Amino acid sequence: MVKIGVIGLTGCSGCQCEILNCQDALLKLLSKVEISLFPLAKDDNLEDELDLLFVEGSVSTSLDRDWLLRLRERTKVLVAVGSCACYGGVQAQRNDEVQIEEMVKEVYGSWKLPFEVFKPSPVSEFVKVDYFLPGCPLDKKQFVYTVSFLLNGVKPFFPKIPVCHECKLSENECLLLKGIPCQGPVTYAGCGAPCTSKGVGCQGCRGDCDFPNHEEIISILTKKGLSYEDALKFLKVFRGNTFRVRRVDEKGA
Amino acid sequence: MKKELNVNHLTRVEGHGAVDIVIENSRLSEIRLRFAEGPRFFEVITKDRLYTEIPKIVSRICGICYVSHRLAAVFAIEDAFRVKVNRGIELLRSLLTVGEFLESHSLHIYFLALPDYMGYPSTLAMVKDYPNVVKRGFKLKEVGNRIMKLIGGKTVHGENILVGGFASIPSREELEEVGRSLLKLIPEIESTLFFLDGLEYPEFESSHEMEMCLNSPSPSLFSSEVSLSDGTNFTKREYELFVREEVSPYSTAKVSKVKGKPFLIGPLARVNRLELHPKVLELTKRLKHSFPSKNSHLANLARAVELLDVAYRGVEFVEELLSLYPFEPTVEVNPREGTGFGVKEAPRGTLYHKYTFDSKGRCIGANIITPTAQLQSVIEDDLRALVETSLDSEDSEIKKRAEVLIRAYDP
Repeated sequence: MVKIGVIGLTGCSGCQCEILNCQDALLKLLSKVEISLFPLAKDDNLEDELDLLFVEGSVSTSLDRDWLLRLRERTKVLVAVGSCACYGGVQAQRNDEVQIEEMVKEVYGSWKLPFEVFKPSPVSEFVKVDYFLPGCPLDKKQFVYTVSFLLNGVKPFFPKIPVCHECKLSENECLLLKGIPCQGPVTYAGCGAPCTSKGVGCQGCRGDCDFPNHEEIISILTKKGLSYEDALKFLKVFRGNTFRVRRVDEKGA
Repeated sequence: MKKELNVNHLTRVEGHGAVDIVIENSRLSEIRLRFAEGPRFFEVITKDRLYTEIPKIVSRICGICYVSHRLAAVFAIEDAFRVKVNRGIELLRSLLTVGEFLESHSLHIYFLALPDYMGYPSTLAMVKDYPNVVKRGFKLKEVGNRIMKLIGGKTVHGENILVGGFASIPSREELEEVGRSLLKLIPEIESTLFFLDGLEYPEFESSHEMEMCLNSPSPSLFSSEVSLSDGTNFTKREYELFVREEVSPYSTAKVSKVKGKPFLIGPLARVNRLELHPKVLELTKRLKHSFPSKNSHLANLARAVELLDVAYRGVEFVEELLSLYPFEPTVEVNPREGTGFGVKEAPRGTLYHKYTFDSKGRCIGANIITPTAQLQSVIEDDLRALVETSLDSEDSEIKKRAEVLIRAYDP
C-alpha cells in the first residue's frame, strides 16, 4: 500500500483544509493508499517511511526545520503545497525590509522565544522538493491530479501559463483595462481564475508564470494609479523571498 | 518522586501545540500548554501596506476561520475611514459567516472531536463502520464551502471580501439556491445535534469565573460591544483596557486575561447566554444536556446548537437579501488618517483587530488578538483541574483525557 503524509509547518492550515475538502476523492483514495501521517486529521501517526509527503507552510522555526529534515530522509517524493511552502508565503513578504530580530521585538517585546525562530523560507531552501503546487490555498484539483498521476507512474505536470489565459477562457472582461489592479499577466495559472471571475484583480497568490515581465506589469499598475512602491508591494505579498523584478528577456524562473 | 508527562504534538487540532504535566510526590506541580506555532508577525507584515492589502494578508492568519479575520479587518478599516455599508452588504457578510460556521463547526465536530467519543483515531477510519455519519459531516462542510465560494470567490481565503463591500454579488437564482440548500440541511443539523447530545461526555466542571462574547452572541449577527458574564459591557474601542496580553515564557501565543483572570470565549460561552434563534431555543429544551453549562466538553454540543442557529438565520438573511435585490455591491471608500477597531465572533471565539492609517490609507500600526491567545489561560486552568482528579489513573489515560479536553476547545 502506498503511504502518504500531509503535514503543516508555519502557515494557516488552509491547504490542509482544502485537502480535506477533496471529500469524495479522499474516500476513493483510501482504497489505494494509506494515509499514515496527517496530524491535523488523525491520532495514530507514523513517520517510519513515506512514499509521498505533502508539506504545507514555510520553514520559520528550528522545529519546522528539524521535522522537515527528518521526514525528507524517509520520504520518496516530497510535494510543497501552497504559497508558504513554495515561496515563503505572506509572512515572507517583508524579509528584505525588516530583520527577524526587529519583528520579534515588535510583537513580543524582547528577543526571547521558546525555540529558534528565523526568517520564513520556502521548503526548498532546506530540502529537495520534487513538485510544487502553489496557491493560497493550493488548488484542490491539482492535489487530486498529483496523487493520481503519481499512483499511475506519471509525472505531474502543470504548465506555467499566466492566469490571463484561464481568465479569457472564462470570458471575463479584462480588469486591468477597466483600471482594477490585477496580476493576471504575470501569475501562474491553474486556479481557474476564480478571483477575476468575481471582478477582483488577481492577487498573485500562485507566484510567477513562465517568463513574467514584472517591469511591464509595474508600469501598467503605476499608470492605473498605484505608486511604484505600492505596485512592488502588491506583487510581493505572496511571492515572498523569491521576488525580484524581472524583465521578460531575462528568461525563465 | 517526580514525573513529567508530555504530549509533544497535539493531533486533530489546527496548528501545533504540546502539553507538559509535571507530577511531584503524587501531586500536580506544573501544567504548561505550549503553542509551538511559528510566529508570522502579522502586526509587522501589515505595516507599510495599503489598506486594500490588509484584509487579504490577515485572512491568512487562519485557513479555517479566514472569513472572521477578514471581516474583523474590514470592520476595523471601515471604522477608521468612517465608511458605512448598506444593508445588502451587511446581510451578505452575515451569510458568509453562516458559511464559515457551517464549515468550521462541522469540521470540528466530525473530524477533530468525534473520533474521541467514538473510539477511533480519525474520522477517515470511521468510514467503514459509520459511512452515513461521515457523509453527513461531509455534507454540512460542503454547504458551508459552497456559500463561502459563492460570496467570497474561493472556499478558502476568498478575495471578494473587500473594504466597502464586494466586487460583485451573487445572482438572485444563486441566492435562492443557498436558501433551499440551508432549508434542506436543517434536518441534517438536527440529527447532528441529537447525535451529539446522545454521546457520553466526561463529567467535568471548569473553574473559570468569567465568560465573554459579543453582546449579540449569535455568530452571524455583528456587534461593536462585548459582554462579560459579570455584567460589564465594553465597546470595541475599549478592548485593550479589558483584554490584557502578556508574553508567555514557553508559548508563542500570548496569554490574555480579563480583570486579571482567565476567561472563556467561543461556542460554549455564546450558547450559555441562551440568546438563540427562537426555533433553536425551543429545540434545546428537548436535549438531555442543558445550557448554561460549565462542562468544557459540552463546547462540542454547543457547536451543534450554533450550526442550527446559523442555518435558521441564514434562511432569513437570504429572504431579506432577495427583498432588497438588486443592491449596490460596494460603497465608496475614502482613506483618512486615524485608528479603527473591528470585533467579530469567530468559530473559536471573539477576535479583535485594530489598525492605524496615515492620510494615504497606508497602515502604520496594527494589533490583533486571536481566540487561541485568549483561551490559553483557561485551558491550562481546566487541565489543572482535570489532572488533579485523575492522579491515580495510568499515564496514558491522563494524557488521553487532557487531549480530549483541549480538543473540545479547538484552540
